[in-house]
Amino acid sequence: MDSRDRDHRLLAGFLAGTLGPAEARRWDEHLLECEQCWRAVREDRAGRQAAGLLRQPAPPGLADRVVFAVEVAASARTVAPRHARPGSQARTARPGARLRWLAGAGALAAGLAVALVVVLLPGGRVTGSVPAAVAAVARYARAIPPPARGQSPPVPRQAVPVQVGHPVTVIAGGQRIVVRTWRLGGAEAVVAVSGRPFPMPARAQAISGAGMAWSSRLGTLGLYCRNGPISVLVAAPVPAAELALLAARLPLA
Amino acid sequence: MGADHRAFLDATLPHLDVVYQVARHAARDGQDPDDLVQETYLRAYAGFGTYRGGNARAWLAAICLNAARSEARRRRRRPWEVPARALLDALPSVRADGGEAVPDVADVVLADLDAAAVSRCLARLPEPQRLCIVLMDVAGYTARETAEMLRCPRGTVLARVHRGRRKLAQVLAEAGVSYGQP
Repeated sequence: MDSRDRDHRLLAGFLAGTLGPAEARRWDEHLLECEQCWRAVREDRAGRQAAGLLRQPAPPGLADRVVFAVEVAASARTVAPRHARPGSQARTARPGARLRWLAGAGALAAGLAVALVVVLLPGGRVTGSVPAAVAAVARYARAIPPPARGQSPPVPRQAVPVQVGHPVTVIAGGQRIVVRTWRLGGAEAVVAVSGRPFPMPARAQAISGAGMAWSSRLGTLGLYCRNGPISVLVAAPVPAAELALLAARLPLA
Repeated sequence: MGADHRAFLDATLPHLDVVYQVARHAARDGQDPDDLVQETYLRAYAGFGTYRGGNARAWLAAICLNAARSEARRRRRRPWEVPARALLDALPSVRADGGEAVPDVADVVLADLDAAAVSRCLARLPEPQRLCIVLMDVAGYTARETAEMLRCPRGTVLARVHRGRRKLAQVLAEAGVSYGQP
């Protein structure tokens, strides 16, 4: 380290307030006489002030997005270990316990295979293969209350869709999805939009004459998807027929 | 879902703004800072079981920087770095030779602070200096926290941030002179 570099570090320490009292006093006096060092101090302050301009609060909706992503990850973690745990226990189990575990290994292996593709559904029920992108939207739609009796769709003709809360962006299965919640009369629905198609769940039905559209049910949740250059997935806790009517009244792009 | 994700969110969500500051400036070209924040939290959640407590916001920032680097490697792109010497050589107005009067860099910078210009000029600094400025002056980490994150001595962090601030001020001043702004 040459003397210039050492002075540089000392000045940085002086500005950060990390020098001892004697050294700091020496720099104080030096700055009264040295134009070059005083210029360095002013530039440091200007640079710090300029950098301070770059502080921005996180955008609205980012916290929701993060919470949602963590909850999706947490739900996946909750489902998988329930089946996988016996395997990990087997590594530390006593011989007797290990034998008991081995006796059920075939069934557990099948359970593990299922655990890799299942998701928790509304109402806590578990069903078969659901693509990650669809599962993420379904999970988000779980928060929607079912329509109150007597207010179920078809909704009043004069009802206007009202967006509820902020849009949430999430990446699931490598797919970027923007999720919005809409209220129409007494019903609410989630509308998810993506630049990539939403894969069909195992038991989904292709909608004839509608190109790459499909519909499906996950527990009490109805799903309607229209894939294209911009793909849209609508999810709501309503019967299939009512979902189609609801989807027709919502802004889908 | 267990309570662990609640505990995780309780411990980390208060630092979202700080992580966002880091993500905005750690994200490389084409990388969305919001995506980087989400990736940071998912990585942090995956590692929460081994988290020993302590400084959660420094832990999150370190994860964010690693996630940004991973993404940059994945895209096989290198950030645009300008050698410090080249920056200084490009600044005739700040080299006082021959006793000729030159505009005071600090005055020029403070007279016309513009966040977009600051962001552009900051991106031109060498990465070590840029990182120190982002972590300390933008995100508000202390020199000690920054040193822990970057795994270098505290004195090095202070020297880098000092050099970086000066260069930032000089580049901004040059931009002000170049574009005829006051």
